[in-house]
Amino acid sequence: MPTTGNNVFTPWATVALLTALLGAAPTLSSAQDAENPYTSRIDVRTGRRLFQAQCSTCHGLNAAGGNESTGPDLTTGRFRHADSDAGLFRVIRDGVRSTSMLGLGADADDQSVWQLVTYLRSLDVTAGGTPTGSAAAGRQLFAGKGACTSCHMVHGQGKRLGPDLSQVGDRRALGDLQTDLVQPDTEVSPRWWTMKASGPGGQIVEGLRMDEDTFTFRIMDSDEQLRAFSKYGDWTYERLQRSTMPSYAETLTEDERNDLAAYLFSLRSEP
Amino acid sequence: MTPTTMVSPVAVALTVLGLGLGLAAIAPPVAAQPRSVDGAAVFSPVTWERLVNAADEPHNWLMYNGTLDSQRFSRLDQIDTSNVGQLELKWAHHIPQLDRAETTPLVVDGVMFITESPSNVVAVDAVTGRPFWRYDHPLPDDLRVCCGRNNRGVSILGEMLYMSTLDAHVVAIDGRSGSLVWSRQVADYRSGYSKTAAPLIVKDQVVTGIAGGEYGIRGFLDSYDAKTGERLWRTHTIPGPDHPDNRSWAGDSWRTGGSPTWITGSYDPELNLVYWGTGNPGPDWNGDVRQGDNLYADSVLALDGDTGEMSWYFQFTPHDVHDWDAIQVPVLADIELDGETRKAMLWANRNGFYYTLDRETGEFLLGKPFAKQTWAEGLDENGRPIRRPDTSPSQEGTLVSPMAGGATNWWSPAFSPRTGLMYVNAFDGEALFFSREQEYNEGDNFTGGGTETPLPIEHYHSAIRAIDPTTGDITWEFPITPRSRAGVLATAGDLVFSASVDGYFYALDAGTGAPLWHISLGGPVHAQPMTYAVGGQQFVSMTVGNTLYTFGLDGER
Ligand code: HEC
Ligand code: HEC
Repeated sequence: MPTTGNNVFTPWATVALLTALLGAAPTLSSAQDAENPYTSRIDVRTGRRLFQAQCSTCHGLNAAGGNESTGPDLTTGRFRHADSDAGLFRVIRDGVRSTSMLGLGADADDQSVWQLVTYLRSLDVTAGGTPTGSAAAGRQLFAGKGACTSCHMVHGQGKRLGPDLSQVGDRRALGDLQTDLVQPDTEVSPRWWTMKASGPGGQIVEGLRMDEDTFTFRIMDSDEQLRAFSKYGDWTYERLQRSTMPSYAETLTEDERNDLAAYLFSLRSEP
Repeated sequence: MTPTTMVSPVAVALTVLGLGLGLAAIAPPVAAQPRSVDGAAVFSPVTWERLVNAADEPHNWLMYNGTLDSQRFSRLDQIDTSNVGQLELKWAHHIPQLDRAETTPLVVDGVMFITESPSNVVAVDAVTGRPFWRYDHPLPDDLRVCCGRNNRGVSILGEMLYMSTLDAHVVAIDGRSGSLVWSRQVADYRSGYSKTAAPLIVKDQVVTGIAGGEYGIRGFLDSYDAKTGERLWRTHTIPGPDHPDNRSWAGDSWRTGGSPTWITGSYDPELNLVYWGTGNPGPDWNGDVRQGDNLYADSVLALDGDTGEMSWYFQFTPHDVHDWDAIQVPVLADIELDGETRKAMLWANRNGFYYTLDRETGEFLLGKPFAKQTWAEGLDENGRPIRRPDTSPSQEGTLVSPMAGGATNWWSPAFSPRTGLMYVNAFDGEALFFSREQEYNEGDNFTGGGTETPLPIEHYHSAIRAIDPTTGDITWEFPITPRSRAGVLATAGDLVFSASVDGYFYALDAGTGAPLWHISLGGPVHAQPMTYAVGGQQFVSMTVGNTLYTFGLDGER
C-alpha cells in the first residue's frame, strides 16, 4: 500500500461485500470439531464486519478491549478459554458460562462463527512465532554492520530511502520480517518502486516512486531530494517494480538476521 | 449555436451605470463574467419535439446522455483542438453533502440543474453558478444503498423536472421554483429497492429504472404519466412464471434474482423502441442457487415506446456469477458495415467484450474484447460467450479478469460521428471471486460471496480506449494512472473530455488520443463531463470531489 499521496482511492475497494447473516437457519453439523474452512482474506473482512456489528460494544472496535469495554483484549494471540480454532468456535457460539460473554447461540450459522474465528486469528501478530534472536544485538547490527540506517529511519535516526521502521513490529509478523531480509522483492509496495527518468542531453534521474498519476510523477532521488516530473514533457520514464533493498541472505549470518528480526519485531507503537 | 453577440465588460459597466449613478458609486461594477443574457428571460418549456431534436440545440444539454441516442456528442466547436489549452476556470459549485457526486447536470436556456447527494437538486445560473433555488428531498435513516448515497441527474419535460430518489420514489419538481409537484413510490426501499439514475422522457412518459441488485430485488422498468405521476406500465426484467423464459431461473430464484435497471437508457423515435441495460442476477457470486441463463439479467432490452412490451433482448452474460451488470448506456449510431448502413447499437460491456448489435432486431453483428478478460474463449456467432472452465467464484477464491467493478461500468461512453469512434473508459483489472452460502432476508444485502483485488491498484492498467464500431478494434488508447471512474464526452471541436480518480480533468484529441489539456482538481471523480453554451460562449463542466467546475475560454474571441 502506498504510504504517501494517492489517498483519493481505496485500492482494495470492491463494489459490494459479503455480509453473511447472523442467526440464519440453524445448521446441523459437527463443524465445531473440524478445521476452519473459512480462512481467506474475504473471511477476515467479513469476520471483522460481524465483529464490529456484534462484539465491539464489549471488546472494542478493533478487539483490543479498552477503557470503556468490559470484554478482554482478543488480540494477544492467547485465549484463556480456548487453545484451538475449534475451541474459539465454541466460545463464540456458546459463550463463557456465568459471564456477560453470552455467545451467539446454537442458532448461529457455522460460517459466520468461523469467520469470526478467522478474524480474531488475523489480529495476532505473534502468530508467526516469538523471536529467538536478541533484540539488543539486532539493534547494534541495524546501525552498525547491517548499515540499515543508510536507507531506513527509526525514531528519527537514519535515512529516508526505505520505509520508516519505528513501528514495523505492529504491521509485520516475525516470519515476514525474516523474509524481508532475504527476499526483499516479494510484495514491493508501489511506493517503493523506482522511477527512471531520461531527459534532454542524456540526463538520467532515478528515484523512489513517491506518487504517480495520469500526467505526472514525483520521486525521491538517492540524495533524498524531492523531484517532480511531467509525463508529457521532455522526459521519458520507466517504472521498475523491484526493491532497492539488497538481500542479506549472503552478507549476514542466520543468527544476525534473527537478531535483526527480533529487534524489528520489538519496534512497536506505545501500547 | 445561437449566434448572439457578446457584450463586452465595458457594455456591462455602462448598463450598471444606467441603473443609477448612486449604486455604481457604492458598488463599482465588476464585470469578470462577460455575458449577453443579463436580465433576459431564460428557460422556455422543453417540448418532446425539442428533446427529439436535442442535437440541434447544442447550447443546451437537455437530458442525461445529451440526446436520445445517448452519443454524448455535442456539436459545439468553439473549444477545439487548437485552443483547448487555454481553458480557464469560470466558476465552481460546492455540493454540501459529501458523498459520491455522480451527476450529469442539464442546461436549459442558461439555467443549469445539478443533482446532489443524496437526492437533492439545485438550479443555478449557468454563467455564474449562482443558485436560483434548491430542492432537498427528505429521506429516511434506514436506506438500503450498496454503493454510496448518490444521484446521477434529472430529466425535463415542459417545465417539470423528474428525479429518482434513494427511497425509491420518482418526484416531479417545478423547474422554475423547485416546488414538489408530485411524488410516487416506485417500490418499498425497505425491501432493498433504491433509485439513483436520471429518468428518460419518452413522449409524455417518464421512463425510469430501479437499483438494488445486491439486495435480492426483482428488477423492472417503469413508465409514469409525466403530468399525473400515474404508472402507465411496468416491464419486469425477470419474467414471471407464466412466461417460458422464467425457466431460465432454477426454482423460485427468480423472485430474488436482481436484474436492476440503474442507469438511463436510450430511445429511437423512428423505431419507437426504448433501450435499457439490466444489471447482475442475484445473489451476485453464488450462481448455484440460480442455475440457468437467468434471463433477462445482464442484457439489453428493446421495449415498445408506448406499452413497454418487449420487442427483443440480447443477453451479454448468461448466468453471470461475477457481478458484471450490463448497466451501460446504449449508444445508438448508424454505421457503415460491409457497405451497408446499419442502425446499430454500440456496447462496451462490463464483462470485457465490445459488441455492435443491430438495434432493429437485436442481431449480433460483431464483438471482441476491449479490455483484459480471462473468463471466455470468445463469442460465438450469436454473440454468446464461450465460457472457460473453472472461472466461477469458489470457496478459496477464483482469479478472474475483469474484476467485479468491470472492464468498464456505468461510466457513460461517447461516440463521435466525426471520427466514427466510440470512446470508453476501460480497466484491465482482476479479482479473486469468493462464493458463500447465504439466506435471503428481505431488505438485507444478498450477494452470496465477495471479491478482493489481489494486488495494489498500481499493478493494473486503465485507459480511455477509442473503439472502431465497424471492427471492434481499438484505434488508440490514452493510459490513466491509476484508474478512472469517469464518463466521457465528445465534441465537434474534435475533443474527448474525461477525468480520473486522482482528480484530473482533461481533454484528448478525438482522432489520436493525444492529451491536449489537463488540470488537477484534487478530488476523486465519479461523474461525467458535459458541455453547453450561453450567450455564444461554450462551457464545459465536470464534477470532481464534491465540487462542480465549469471551464471556458477567455471572453476575448
Ligand atoms: C456483553 C459483552 C460482550 C459481548 C457482546 C461479547 N463479548 Fe466476548 N467476552 C466478554 C467478556 C466479559 C469475556 C470474558 C469472559 C471471562 O470472564 O472469561 C469475553 C470473552 C470472550 C472470548 C474468550 C477470551 C479468552 O481469553 O478466552 C472470546 C473469544 C470472545 N469473548 C469473543 C467474542 C465475540 C466473537 C463476540 C461477538 C460475537 C463477543 N465476544 C461478544 C464480553 C462480551
Ligand atoms: C538500499 C536501501 C536499503 C537498505 C540498505 C536496507 N533496506 Fe530495508 N527496505 C528498503 C526498501 C526500499 C524497502 C521497501 C521495499 C521492500 O519491501 O522491499 C525496504 C523494506 C524493508 C522492510 C519491510 C518494511 C515494511 O514496512 O514492510 C524491512 C523489515 C527492512 N527493509 C529491513 C531492513 C534491514 C533490517 C536492513 C539492514 C540489514 C535493511 N532493510 C536495509 C531499502 C533498504
